[in-house]
Amino acid sequence: MASAPAQIPTSFGHELRACLRCRLVKTYDQFRESGCENCPFFKMEEDHERVVDCTTPNFNGIISVMDPTRSWAARWLRIGRFVPGVYTLAVSEALPEDLQTICEDEHIQYVPPKR
Amino acid sequence: FFVDNGNDIPEEDDIRRRPPRHSMLHDQEDHEDLEAIERRIQERYARRVESFDEEATDVEQQALLPSVRDPKLWMVKCVIGRERETAVCLMQKYIDKGAELQIRSAIALDHLKNYIYVEADKEAHVKEAIKGLRNIYAASKITLVPIREMTDVLSVESKAIDLARDTWVRMKIGTYKGDLAKVVDVDNVRQRVTVKLIPRIDLQALANKLEGREVVKKKAFVPPPRFLNVDEARELHIRVEHRRDAYGERFDAIGGMMFKDGFLYKTVSIKSINAQNIKPTLNELEKFRKPGESGDSDVASLSTLFANRKKGHFMKGDAVIVVKGDLKNLKGWVEKVDEDNVHIRPEIKGLPKTLAVNERELCKYFEPGNHVKIRVFADDVVESSEVTTGITKIGDYELRDLVLLDNMTFGVIIRVESEAFQVLKGVADRPEVALVKLREIKCKIEKKTSVQDRFKNTVSVKDVVRIVEGPCKGKQGPVEHIHRGVLFIYDRHHLEHAGFICAKASSCVVVGGSRISGDRNGDAYSRFPGLRTPPRIPQSPRRFSRGGPPNDSGGRHRGGRGHDGLAGATVKVRQGPYKGYRGRVIEVKGTTVRVELESQMKVVTVDRDHISDNVAVTPHRETRYSIGSETPMHPSRTPLHPYMTPMRDPGATPIHDGMRTPMRDRAWNPYTPMSPTREWEDGNPGSWGTSPQYQPGSPPSRQYEAPTPGAGWASTPGGNYSEAGTPRDPYVNAPSPYLPSTPGGQPMTPNSAAYLPGTPGGQPMTPGTGGLDMMSPVLGGDNEGPWFMPDILVNVHRPGEESVGVIREVLPDGSCKVALGSSGNGETITALPNEMEAVVPRKSDKIKIMGGALRGSTGKLIGVDGTDGIVKVDDTLDVKILDLVILAKLAQS
Repeated sequence: MASAPAQIPTSFGHELRACLRCRLVKTYDQFRESGCENCPFFKMEEDHERVVDCTTPNFNGIISVMDPTRSWAARWLRIGRFVPGVYTLAVSEALPEDLQTICEDEHIQYVPPKR
Repeated sequence: FFVDNGNDIPEEDDIRRRPPRHSMLHDQEDHEDLEAIERRIQERYARRVESFDEEATDVEQQALLPSVRDPKLWMVKCVIGRERETAVCLMQKYIDKGAELQIRSAIALDHLKNYIYVEADKEAHVKEAIKGLRNIYAASKITLVPIREMTDVLSVESKAIDLARDTWVRMKIGTYKGDLAKVVDVDNVRQRVTVKLIPRIDLQALANKLEGREVVKKKAFVPPPRFLNVDEARELHIRVEHRRDAYGERFDAIGGMMFKDGFLYKTVSIKSINAQNIKPTLNELEKFRKPGESGDSDVASLSTLFANRKKGHFMKGDAVIVVKGDLKNLKGWVEKVDEDNVHIRPEIKGLPKTLAVNERELCKYFEPGNHVKIRVFADDVVESSEVTTGITKIGDYELRDLVLLDNMTFGVIIRVESEAFQVLKGVADRPEVALVKLREIKCKIEKKTSVQDRFKNTVSVKDVVRIVEGPCKGKQGPVEHIHRGVLFIYDRHHLEHAGFICAKASSCVVVGGSRISGDRNGDAYSRFPGLRTPPRIPQSPRRFSRGGPPNDSGGRHRGGRGHDGLAGATVKVRQGPYKGYRGRVIEVKGTTVRVELESQMKVVTVDRDHISDNVAVTPHRETRYSIGSETPMHPSRTPLHPYMTPMRDPGATPIHDGMRTPMRDRAWNPYTPMSPTREWEDGNPGSWGTSPQYQPGSPPSRQYEAPTPGAGWASTPGGNYSEAGTPRDPYVNAPSPYLPSTPGGQPMTPNSAAYLPGTPGGQPMTPGTGGLDMMSPVLGGDNEGPWFMPDILVNVHRPGEESVGVIREVLPDGSCKVALGSSGNGETITALPNEMEAVVPRKSDKIKIMGGALRGSTGKLIGVDGTDGIVKVDDTLDVKILDLVILAKLAQS
């Protein structure tokens, strides 16, 4: 139990969104207030428009990861390096081009969803 | 080199198809075998496992397969509908208990109801972890997932991308539920599709509505599918505008609906259509094809029909067509079938005698009108060899049947040819024969009517008459059919038209006595001889006077196969929530059937498989009059209204208020009984304080909506008692935020009222239950309908007048006093709810929230995201995401 866990979603409606890069799931409000714990470089907490660009409400299935370092499922889903939190198994959209560039600049790996 | 020891990467097909049942395999063997291999692999990959998180190739993914050292996956049963909530509860528990909780993750799959997966080394850890969670049963079975199935659990099929133009889909909801539709546009961002449908428009009712006339909405009335004729609409004074869409295509717009070439183009959410395994019937496809389409498109549509399927079964002698590859559009016949290839003999000369084609590139091919035997899918269709010999019957129709061709034309089948019928039309003065294809026949006419002859004697079928007037004067014979005052007489001496003569009843005279037995439903029917009531309907002319042909949707023909004979039949519901009820089938729609329950004044939708029609058919007269409780209530619905108000309060309010607080705690404090403190509430300070956040959308709130029985049925549009014009008024000033939150909730009360007088006591869903029933929360809880309120800007639509105004006052019956003008400075008028439409706000507008928990609050629209608006609420300065539908522009005062 190394890192501090991400916020867990407080509701289940339309507000739930998943980060397109790390697939963390939180509500719109939560992203807006504290950004994405795994992707601070997106700076969602500063630029609220970013939240809509970096996250999507279209996702499939959720997984609560308590201990990413020791979870096989997290490893298989390639989220074993992220903080504990609630993630989604798959998102249906890809990160927009300009944000992908940001990832490259920061030497962050981004894997688009499989089609 | 990866040893094939049960760790195969499963094929995509299997993942999709395999049901989530994990067999209780003896994993021991597997583990023992794997131990050795695993050690080797660990050595090889140990160092690189860490960095593999960054690599994305498939090869590396193989290395991430689960090993014996990894935690196992355990399947645990939970409350249906609460899968996500349960997974998140476990997360919360982990945050609080820390390392004490020895599970590694918890998974909730969208497509798997009633279960979650928990990742842990030992079953005991899982048992401990789920203790105290109210969403998991204490006695829940914990099932181990075999290692080789673990990766399947985490595989999801992304369906968002699968929809393409020209795909066939079926509508899941609304008037068009069950109808076939074709996708014309996909908007993945907004998750909506535009589809093209055969319209079901009641032009008369639409004309009334648009002109503001009182619409006497017939209960459960779904118009039959029919292409829209713009001229017809114009004749009824319906305004038809020309509009263009985003692509520049021209459409005819009527009342907000877009039409082109007779089709209705509708944009709906992706969730409301079904795109998997859609098998359009040949009839439906035929209907979709407009006259004038070339032969090529036939092939194209047939091949898209088959594109959705997985496999075909080809047999020797089948007619096939190549749909993919270089040989596309080549027709031929199957000579031989082996493993993967089908050998066909092509139609075209000059090609080798047989060609080997991959099964996937072939589709069965058959012309419409061919005589086919239907087995399971159309793929299994085999052309019958009976076609070539002389036949007397095609489909449901045979020689001598009286059939209806369209609303005006009818006739008797005098000859059956290979693909069509020769029909002697019901034109008395001169014989008229038409060549009619199977699909041009609407239905058989089997109504037994009687008519009067020249001297006012009653003539019925089987009576012998003599023609005393007209070209066939002097001929005589028994009457085979009677329809609309026209007799079809069979005279075997008559050499034309297979002996059939068509003559007006008034030109004939009865000869000898009538020979029918007491088989005269004289009283009921003899009144209708000249009427145009379609044959199937005589049972209920009052209730369902359908203007159009009595065809079932989907173009099925009556009198043929068993199910279609359903319409109008008395049935008993054998399964589902209405089990045990008797009722009468009003309409058959795709795979569902609308049934009018005998004991209640309700029409409900049930699955076709859930009903059986071996109920002793009580003559229709009985069902109409014998149910004592029904008759007095039926014509006037006023007795219901008084029930509405008193029922609402005891029924709905206590439940919501009473349960609200404890529910909130418990949802997020799964093990409240065990813990003395309420730390978890404080743990997330901001979130739980704002209760409205949960209630509208969250599953816990649905829990309390579900038990009120109306909810389930209210969702069928046009279903129940929400007409009578004033469903909204009790709720305009409702104290409890729950009630307005579901427009489906409006009929909630009338339905519960319907229970009290008439309920047979069979329904398990009494409003009083603590709401903890595990009713699957079927209702889309997101429907928080907009309600008019003062100070908002509305567009007022009246015939000849379109204006904007500000609502000053909302009246008890739902209409509003509107001050015209964008600032409300003009004159004040009273507008009906259906004449008003809230003005859609734009970014930066000041708005008022018309629905949901925040109803009544004002705020500012700071952004728009698809169909949602991002609102900064004035009082709390919270930012909320709300559906644009419930937001109205606030007037500047």
